[in-house]
Amino acid sequence: MTVTELPVKKARTKKPVKVHTTLVIGAGFIGLGTAIKLREAGIDDLVILERADRVGGTWRDASYPGAACDIPSQLYSFSFAKNPGWSRAYSPSAEILEHIEELAERFDLVKDIQFNTAVTKLEFDKREARWEVTAGRKKFYARTVVVASGPLSDASLPNITGIEDFEGAKVLSARWDNDYDFAGKSIAVIGTGASAIQIIPELVKVAGSVKVFQRTPGWVMPRLDVETPEIAKAVFEKLPVAQQVTRSALFLAHEAAATGLVWNTPITSLIQQIGKLHIRMTVKDKWLRRQLTPEFRAGCKRMLMSSDYYPALQADNCKLITWPIAKITPKGLQTCDALQHEVDAIVFATGYDVHLGGPPYPITGLDGQLLQEEWSGHPEAYKSASAHGYPNLFFTCGPNSGPGHNSLLVYAQGQIEYAVSGIRAIVEQDLRWIDVKKDVQDSYNVSMQKRLRSTTWMSGCSSWYLTEDGFNASMYPGFATQYLRQMQDFRIRDYEVASNAATRLWNIPRDLAAV
Amino acid sequence: MTMDMEEMLAKIKDRQWALADIDWDAPGVELISEDFKPKLKAFMADLCWIENVGARGFAAMAKKAPNPTIAEIYRYFHAEEQRHANAELALLKRWGMLEEGEIPEPNVNIRMAIEWLDTYADDMPLSVLGTVIPMLEVALDGALLKFLLEEVHDPVCHQVFEKINNDESRHIAVDFEVLDMIGHAKARKLAIDFVSNLASPGLIIGGLMYLPLLNRMRNNIVDMGLQPEKLYAAMNRFEKLGRRGEFTHRVPLFQVLRVHSKMVVDSEHPYHLLANSLVWASEFYPRALFRPIPTWFKELTHEPVTKGVKNGMNAA
Ligand SMILES: Cc1cc2nc3c(=O)[nH]c(=O)nc-3n(C[C@H](O)[C@H](O)[C@H](O)COP(=O)(O)OP(=O)(O)OC[C@H]3O[C@@H](n4cnc5c(N)ncnc54)[C@H](O)[C@@H]3O)c2cc1C
Ligand SMILES: [Fe+2]
Ligand SMILES: [Fe+2]
Repeated sequence: MTVTELPVKKARTKKPVKVHTTLVIGAGFIGLGTAIKLREAGIDDLVILERADRVGGTWRDASYPGAACDIPSQLYSFSFAKNPGWSRAYSPSAEILEHIEELAERFDLVKDIQFNTAVTKLEFDKREARWEVTAGRKKFYARTVVVASGPLSDASLPNITGIEDFEGAKVLSARWDNDYDFAGKSIAVIGTGASAIQIIPELVKVAGSVKVFQRTPGWVMPRLDVETPEIAKAVFEKLPVAQQVTRSALFLAHEAAATGLVWNTPITSLIQQIGKLHIRMTVKDKWLRRQLTPEFRAGCKRMLMSSDYYPALQADNCKLITWPIAKITPKGLQTCDALQHEVDAIVFATGYDVHLGGPPYPITGLDGQLLQEEWSGHPEAYKSASAHGYPNLFFTCGPNSGPGHNSLLVYAQGQIEYAVSGIRAIVEQDLRWIDVKKDVQDSYNVSMQKRLRSTTWMSGCSSWYLTEDGFNASMYPGFATQYLRQMQDFRIRDYEVASNAATRLWNIPRDLAAV
Repeated sequence: MTMDMEEMLAKIKDRQWALADIDWDAPGVELISEDFKPKLKAFMADLCWIENVGARGFAAMAKKAPNPTIAEIYRYFHAEEQRHANAELALLKRWGMLEEGEIPEPNVNIRMAIEWLDTYADDMPLSVLGTVIPMLEVALDGALLKFLLEEVHDPVCHQVFEKINNDESRHIAVDFEVLDMIGHAKARKLAIDFVSNLASPGLIIGGLMYLPLLNRMRNNIVDMGLQPEKLYAAMNRFEKLGRRGEFTHRVPLFQVLRVHSKMVVDSEHPYHLLANSLVWASEFYPRALFRPIPTWFKELTHEPVTKGVKNGMNAA
């Protein structure tokens, strides 16, 4: 492994440093996928920085009971690195983690990963035309950087009055405490989002009682989670084309759903009818049905998939509470109907810290400007991957890249392809840097925002997709097919290019060589 | 008058209280005379259920709120009316008026109100709900509380109602602000909402339920040896507060309720013949026709603290 780790002090002594072709931040699904594709393109000199001590990202961290993907496994994987052995239609977290670990091994990626290395700062060095990446006391240098530190990789306890006074166990769904024994205990679950609906059915099985505190109900679609028949696994193993066909069929089915989940149309109403029917058929009590019926257009917030959530809520040891929480007390919670609920543990299924304003580590661009400042409020990028002023930097899960109806990995594949094309251009044409043109980026965003207007996300609900003032910088308004088409089309003419050849030819100072 | 609703919401969140904040065993029960107790029990039971009816009303309002902040405020008000009901039940319990596990029976007019709410409230437009709720708040909720404080000298009762009254003053402030917002709407829309609902079974039945409910409360108060003027004063408040709004007077239903309250207030008015016969008639309403009591009723409790879940609380 050829990685130079320089303590900050030594950096001043002008010793030549190792400059990687590409540095990838994060060893989750997407960071590893990027590495696989870079290698395939002949770019071997790369380093992956990962703050944890193993690969896996989301699926290493999501260890709560019931954790599973809610997009069929066949779609929740890379088409260039499939897994013929998925055990179920919707694989549990541990199995996805196993698959990611297997990928790291199959493609021999571990040798390029620096574990326990959390990126804290990114600065572009115009003179040297390279990124200086700080990770605590270590520094790394690279001509290009791919940001794959995850869309939902950070989580924290919510800000509820009295939370610090609670004497029982506080369990964050995103950082599950696997040592806490829930058996027979009185549990409160705060939140009814994607994680909560997976956790609650499992808790109801073991806990003494589960009180579920709901703020806003979401649309819940039935999820047919069946075991993959052995015969199918065998066929997928021997006949990869069969798996590709299955994948394509699922892809098309999800694309069709976009007509209701992305755009606010009569199909959206149809999806809501299915959601309501799901409630009607599985919830006996009229008032409970009312409490569980969402007020917003389907798709406006993330769709929930579960067939065991509604039955779990009606179990003898479970109760849904919709009164607002007034505060947390030393012994439990107090709701606004003046009652106190004593519990042994509170599970905070309150989601993730969504970094709409850019990654949580500062990124300084070409002229010393700070990405987080530029992105506070209204983040903008070009094709979700490049941002003007931040050359040679490629985002995954960047602004307006989110799918509302399809696997995130399908979109990620497009992002990886785009980054690899950009990096190849830089390497093969020996460019100092490429920086997306301001006007190209601007007109792209004008069209994005225009297209977003007719989507379900803008139909009036408040969601983590939107910034405080209701700006949508997270979702892509279109079909996955459209998104992939734009990502497959990397156009160097969209970028300002600074080339090494020009510098050499005119012998001008390097930092003036930008065209 | 324009109110900063965000500020109001923050204030509401800040002023939460719990049954556990009150010492339900403090002395003072002895100040209630034995012969007053049965009447007090009946009165408190009605009051408690009226809070519950108000709670359900706010639940319906939350769906119709003109903006998300007001929707959130109504979500809190829904819980706060429930809180009042819980606290009043706890007073009944303190006064030894409840058997173990007993929840007082709602009277027939309240049963009707509940059934009406459960059937129609969620479909009523804001201009109807937003006019009726303030009337219920000032007339029934607001006024009844005041009576009680004059008649009952138990300090714990006073402590509880001070908290409830503080909540109510915020409710009423928001109620009339929203009523004014409703009045601000296009006259055409107001007219359409009004006319189309006037003929709807929802509003007709609603009226038939409201008249006797009001008169029954009036009669109960008189029964307790109180002067109905107090109730009338409260009903006049509806008009007074409404008049303060710039646009409130444009709401047709406001005008209807205003004129109606004038009739109620005039004890000589022939209206009382009608209303009282409705009270009388409702006593004959066959109980078997009531649908089972909706499960939101069962949320009512005087237990300040619970641990665990009673069996099947969601599976009615
Ligand atoms: C519970 C849960 C369920 C989900 N289910 C689905 C689903 O069913 N379908 C779907 O399409 N999507 C789903 N998602 C979205 C999911 O996040 C993505 O599909 C995908 O896993 C993202 O991969 P990633 O590699 O970008 O990010 P991650 O998997 O989050 O990986 C990022 C990696 O970067 C590391 N990292 C972060 N910050 C730093 C730093 N500063 N320095 C160094 N390393 C850093 C992290 O430790 C992590 O290993 C789910 C997400 C969650 C949380
Ligand atoms: Fe009240
Ligand atoms: Fe009230």
